[in-house]
Amino acid sequence: MKQADRPVLHRWTRHEYERLIDHGFLDEDDPIELLDGLLLVKEPQHSPHRTAVLLVAKAVERAFGEGWFVQTQSPIILDDRSEPEPDVCVVRGSPRDYVDSHPTRPALIVEVAQSGLGLARGRKAAAYARARIADYWILNLVDRVLEAHREPARPGPARRHWGYAAIETLGAGATITLLAAPSACILVADLRS
Amino acid sequence: MRVMASYETRTRRFSRAEYERLIDLGVFQPGEAIELIGGELMVAEPQGTAHYTAIMKTAKALEAAFGPGWHVRTQGPIGLDDDSEPEPDVAVVPGSPDDYGRAHPSRPALTVEVAESSLGADRQRKGSLYARAGLPDYWILNLVDRVLEVYREPAPDPAAPFGWRYARREVLDASAQVTPLAAPGSSIFVSRLLP
Repeated sequence: MKQADRPVLHRWTRHEYERLIDHGFLDEDDPIELLDGLLLVKEPQHSPHRTAVLLVAKAVERAFGEGWFVQTQSPIILDDRSEPEPDVCVVRGSPRDYVDSHPTRPALIVEVAQSGLGLARGRKAAAYARARIADYWILNLVDRVLEAHREPARPGPARRHWGYAAIETLGAGATITLLAAPSACILVADLRS
Repeated sequence: MRVMASYETRTRRFSRAEYERLIDLGVFQPGEAIELIGGELMVAEPQGTAHYTAIMKTAKALEAAFGPGWHVRTQGPIGLDDDSEPEPDVAVVPGSPDDYGRAHPSRPALTVEVAESSLGADRQRKGSLYARAGLPDYWILNLVDRVLEVYREPAPDPAAPFGWRYARREVLDASAQVTPLAAPGSSIFVSRLLP
């Protein structure tokens, strides 16, 4: 007989999550995001984090150019139980295209991570891979590198959860090419504070 | 710098007042088995036939043992503290149902959890939570080993999940008898509680 030593947390649906917001339990400034039905507390916004978010947003905006827009720390919809707010993501079209509902499939997601590094590599990478996000970067402030996660891979003999099959770690001197805008490339040093 | 392993489990906490508002607003599905434990919304274990039968047998035995002046509740909410509203499988509270028309009872004289898959959680987290609230008599009807675990004498313990635990633990098999602290004249065979 199975014995669960860890109690099971209630998983929220996106519909319930939106009702929490409508009824004022959560507001836009709360550092909370819905991932896999859990109301996760986001990494604190200390100034290196904030600076990195702004630098990344600026660099990817320039690299993607016309026909795309960049949103920072705004909701996207992944599935019925996930409405995360990635630090930076690049979405096709213009903001007006998303008046009625949040974007669902960004071409690029970037998380800036310090204390949240385990979360970014673990639960978030799994959720993004499962949603077939093709290009997911973690700007790792602990080791001062950029981790490019590509090739979403389903669970199987090699992995317990969804994840990325190709993970490349890039130092400050490296450049990175965008999967969705292959003609552009970004110097990793331009992303870091 | 080391990444805190605990980070991943940090989720939004709810107070009991918020939790009761969520219920009033009908945010949860009707019949969803949710309890608020130390600010976290926990999902209760699914009811198997043995679990349900054990609850019914325990409630009946406790009703007989406590007699008039007591009210035996099954899976009813307890207003335990500012961030906890558990729904123990069986709880014995003073008075009658009418006494709790405006507020849930907060201090059962006896609290019982029937445990199969929830055994670890019932011992660790719930045990610590109930000890912190000062509940004097806490029983776990352990269906895995077919024994009754009796916990008494709440005492501080910084290593426990909520800073308290029960100092005394007694394990009684089916042939033993148990006497509730609040009904010292009665004794119940453990076999009468087991499914």
